[in-house]
Amino acid sequence: MSNVILFNLTTVLFGVASGLYLGALYAKNEKIAVAGTWVCILAAVVSTAALGLRWYESYQMGIGRIPVTNLYESLVFFAWAVDLFYLVVERKYGSRTFGAFVMPIAFFTMLFAIKNDSSIQPLVPALQSYWLHAHVITCFIGYAAFAVSAGVALMYLLKARQETAKISEGIVGLLPGTKMLDDLVYRAIIWGFPFLTAGIITGAAWANYAWGTYWSWDPKETWSLIVWLVYAAFLHARITRGWHGRRAAYLSIAGFLSTVMCYLGVNLVLSGLHSYGGG
Amino acid sequence: MVDEKRTPPPMDRVWNFFTSVRLAIVTLIVLAATSIIGTIIEQNQPPEKYHQIYEDWAFALMDRVNLFDMYHSVWFLLMLVLFTVNLSCCTIDRFPKMLKVVRNPRTKLDENLEKTLSLSDRWKKKGSLSEWAANYAGALSSSFAKPKVTEDGGAVHLYAEAGVASRFGVYVTHLSIVIIFIGAILGNVLGFKGYVNIPEGEAVSQVPVRGGSRTQDLGFTVRCISFRLETYPSGQPKSYMSDLSVIDGGRETLRKTIVVNDPLQYKGIWFYQSSYGQTGGATAKVTVSRKDGTGMGALSLAANETVPIPGYGTVRGVNFEQNFQGNGPALQVVVEKPGQPASSFWLFQGRSDLDRQRADSLVFAFGGLSSKMYTGLQVAKDPGVNIVWLGCTLMVIGLIMAFFLSHQRVWVRLSPGTDGRVEVVLAASASRNRLAFEKKFEKILTGVKTAGQ
Ligand code: HEM
Repeated sequence: MSNVILFNLTTVLFGVASGLYLGALYAKNEKIAVAGTWVCILAAVVSTAALGLRWYESYQMGIGRIPVTNLYESLVFFAWAVDLFYLVVERKYGSRTFGAFVMPIAFFTMLFAIKNDSSIQPLVPALQSYWLHAHVITCFIGYAAFAVSAGVALMYLLKARQETAKISEGIVGLLPGTKMLDDLVYRAIIWGFPFLTAGIITGAAWANYAWGTYWSWDPKETWSLIVWLVYAAFLHARITRGWHGRRAAYLSIAGFLSTVMCYLGVNLVLSGLHSYGGG
Repeated sequence: MVDEKRTPPPMDRVWNFFTSVRLAIVTLIVLAATSIIGTIIEQNQPPEKYHQIYEDWAFALMDRVNLFDMYHSVWFLLMLVLFTVNLSCCTIDRFPKMLKVVRNPRTKLDENLEKTLSLSDRWKKKGSLSEWAANYAGALSSSFAKPKVTEDGGAVHLYAEAGVASRFGVYVTHLSIVIIFIGAILGNVLGFKGYVNIPEGEAVSQVPVRGGSRTQDLGFTVRCISFRLETYPSGQPKSYMSDLSVIDGGRETLRKTIVVNDPLQYKGIWFYQSSYGQTGGATAKVTVSRKDGTGMGALSLAANETVPIPGYGTVRGVNFEQNFQGNGPALQVVVEKPGQPASSFWLFQGRSDLDRQRADSLVFAFGGLSSKMYTGLQVAKDPGVNIVWLGCTLMVIGLIMAFFLSHQRVWVRLSPGTDGRVEVVLAASASRNRLAFEKKFEKILTGVKTAGQ
């Protein structure tokens, strides 16, 4: 199927972009990083086309459904959202060094995705709901924002260590200042949190329409609540107790780890009602 | 007495405990951490299943602390209560203070306030103070918001603000959590959840309640008229649906075809298409007529069930073949008449002409097998659900207010300088997104500075 070919191409582009950003850091050459940005833009175009094509192809097969309903599709959608979110951040903050930390997340997500079954499978009746579309899209935009936040938190930790040691040499010396990184860790979460909240709510609405219970403590639901609680703790720690810098960065990384657990761990390790995971 | 002054009175200490955000953070983290347990230990399974996994002592211990139904355990609910009390106290404590600040903003830019504001600029102007004040007020109105003018001694203060709503976002969010809890409690106390299978053609007016031995009277009757299943070419179910009819007060008051994700609702009770299956074995439809063609009615034969035909004998369906001797579906029946040996023969589906050739007073026509289906319905009544949705909507609105609005304030002070000129100070602050506000500040500043020139 041609959409899969386009997704494979996207994977290559994410790999190239990651390589260029890392190379630019290493060689301290902004021109290479600019090339990285163009590859990211190209990847955004190709993966958007791939998602559209996959949607179209599902109609041609007589199945007709949004391409966000199994593990493969949710992974490529996540990578797509990370790429787009990253491009917005790069533009707003005018620094290309983030790419070296964020684009590898998209690249490894795609590598993981192409190991899974990529065929378009028909939907079981429970998944045929508009709430499902809203649910998956909002959740994954939230996840993408958390991924960006965690990538930047990692940059922060590297940079902060160097600043305490009073070195400004080497690759880390090129990273933006800790103040900006710290701000970005927070700002990404401010975007992610309302989206995750909306994702949990639309998921509850869907469950209520399908089964008559908006909350049943199944492992997936519970983990999404755990993620939500961790980020709520982050927000409170920051606004009211002045948790900035290192501690905020650790919390952001912890939040992203729980996100990964919610998204993949529950399906791979635990069981639940959700449809991804079976592959 | 001395002691009392050092440590606050007990009531205050309790209040301080419940209004502390540190407690909120701890509760959030503890709730998150303990919630993990129930995702690892499967919840609400039969005891035998747990006995297979755990040693007896471990089972006893875990059962003791309700780990097999932890989200409904007393300790977990107590944590939720603590969380809610903390949240409410925090809000009650801070909301009036916030309201006061919003209602009576500091409209005068004094020295102390000026020191706390990082965005500021100052300059001097020749001319009349009141004229400049009027000019600047006009400029502020057009570039930002209409200012409030206060005169104090010889000085004039202008104060303008925008995005006050952002201050309320936190409270809307917190209130929404309490509303959701209220909705959830109402649903649990006043509602019920059940599950029922209704065979086609049958009706129920009671449903067994989930997780208990109780049954719930519906107050009306629901009949399953028919059930249908559609499959993809691969054989996977594509959709399944039930034609339901509600009978209330002796007559049909509602009829609806429900599918997964499209339930029926009557008098606050919802019926969700949940599952389906075959009920009992299949039955064979057999119509009976005399040799001369006059009909004697239709029989519905369950497997091996002996059905009497008055004045004739009995019939029993004993066997079915999908393709008997290459002639398609066929039913084997055994006929017994009083005082005669039993006879057995095959009836081909849709070929009553063949049976007519049998030497007998009656002719049987086999109309095919039909398997009766049942529809499985989740039944739920949840009077709190709309309150929960109200809370959810408020939560999203509150978060957007808190995160994406910013309370922006601009002060201008005009005072007579020692050299006879007017001294002007402009300062500003924003509660959020200061980076973006800096650009706006520059615009406001140029707008004001160029006014009246
Ligand atoms: C134990 C329960 C909670 C308590 C006691 C509490 C208390 C507070 C307090 C005191 C503030 C600071 C207000 C200010 O800056 O003036 C705050 C901010 C906030 N709270 Fe809570 N909170 C609780 C739970 C939650 C939860 C579960 C959420 C999740 C949605 C939440 C969302 C927020 C938000 C969004 C802010 C604003 C943060 C910001 O401005 O960056 N709170 N909370």
